[in-house]
Amino acid sequence: MIYKNIGKMIQKAREEAGLSQEELSSRLGYTQAALSNYELGKRRLYLANIEQIAKELNKPLNYFLEDAAEKVKAGQEKAQDETISEINKLLSELPPEERKNILEYIQWRKERLK
Amino acid sequence: MIGFDLTDEQLEYQKTAKDFAQKEIKPYAAELDRRQGTAFDWGIVSRFAKANLLGLNVPKKYGGLGVNMLTAVVMAEELGTACMGIIGTAAGNWLATTCLSSVGNENQKKNYLPLCCGENASLAALAVTESEAGSDIAGIKTTAARKGDYYILNGTKTFITNAGLAKFYIVFATSDPRKRHGGLNAFIVDGDAPGLTLGTVVDKIGLRASQVGTVIFNNVEVPAENILGAENTGFFIAVQTLDMSRPCLGAAAVGVARAAFETALTYARERKQYGRPIIENQAISFMLADMATEIEASRLLTWRAAWLIDQGMDSTKASSMCKIFSSEMAERVCSRAIQILGAHGYTRNWPVEKYYRDAKALAIYEGTNQIQRIIIASML
Repeated sequence: MIYKNIGKMIQKAREEAGLSQEELSSRLGYTQAALSNYELGKRRLYLANIEQIAKELNKPLNYFLEDAAEKVKAGQEKAQDETISEINKLLSELPPEERKNILEYIQWRKERLK
Repeated sequence: MIGFDLTDEQLEYQKTAKDFAQKEIKPYAAELDRRQGTAFDWGIVSRFAKANLLGLNVPKKYGGLGVNMLTAVVMAEELGTACMGIIGTAAGNWLATTCLSSVGNENQKKNYLPLCCGENASLAALAVTESEAGSDIAGIKTTAARKGDYYILNGTKTFITNAGLAKFYIVFATSDPRKRHGGLNAFIVDGDAPGLTLGTVVDKIGLRASQVGTVIFNNVEVPAENILGAENTGFFIAVQTLDMSRPCLGAAAVGVARAAFETALTYARERKQYGRPIIENQAISFMLADMATEIEASRLLTWRAAWLIDQGMDSTKASSMCKIFSSEMAERVCSRAIQILGAHGYTRNWPVEKYYRDAKALAIYEGTNQIQRIIIASML
């Protein structure tokens, strides 16, 4: 879980920097496949890898770690919340247009509660 | 694509571990289990050191055996057959050295890893748990305040394997409790640092030969260069270390279950009732068949988790799965072994009651099985 979240942050930071996987991987001295696996969370990232990537992308190390830690925690809490998992399950079965409607409905409900 | 053969080198290491377990651990297991008070025995540590098993996973360049994870789990299973308590002491070292090997800088590795290797090897410990921060490590209250070239540590760690014995500890502390995960840091702390003291030693129902206790930090000065990784990376370090240590725990569970199974099998073949060995009753032989099947299944989960680690892949889910299944399997197998031995199984004249007491701990430490389920569920 933690690698997947860090991987997503790497992808986000790479895209923000306007770099392709090929470009970033060659700067880091990795193969493109290795970087792709890091971004997908399939490969285990060591702290040294994350530090190197953070340096190359001009981000503080904690940009990748803190967010990932929060997401892991959120993911774990989510796993414990049956209501949310049921909502997620049903949502995934709906077409994109319907999902958008539901999102708008949730936002409307949230506004009303304020 | 799939092969289950061990290499010649792995078979050699397996034999080393098996011989060591049978000659150097097993003969002392019962005595240390029954010793009142503190059962820990330095004599056993020196045996481990002579075989360099305290530095099992330390890279060769620092003096360790440097085996990969698959080889380590094959060895841990053999050691687990002899005494979970005694190998708990070595496992405390493996936790600390796994952590240090994966995140330490060259100086830290050069200064500390060799302390766990070779004939004069000492013990090490990983200190994460606190009375209010067990499963929730972001709730750690031990503080680390920066003061010039030092960090000042204050707090109390509980349930620490090798407490009071370790030459060095890897201690997790927070530099900012409000930041929770984001404020955690890991430090290498010398065992003889002023202000570091041993509190109570825990009196446990099992794992009697392993010393587990409270470690108190009272204004302990830790040189700033002893911080592991970059600042505020402690949460990542803890998660990664535990992920990588779980397959060895799973393998040890397979080992203790195997020991219980083998005792029960031998007994069932020899014990006669109604004029024939009790194994000829399906009620008994089916229990043994289930035990053998579950042991095999656990071993395969454990090997797969170790294989993923060796491939550099994310093993989080596989590690948690092998930890849950193997530890619960071990408890079931040990319980059935007691049942097969009948009244004998419930006595202290046979080792199965000890296996049962030891196996129970596996579902609790290094992340309870409930936490493992949360991890798996979050990755489905």
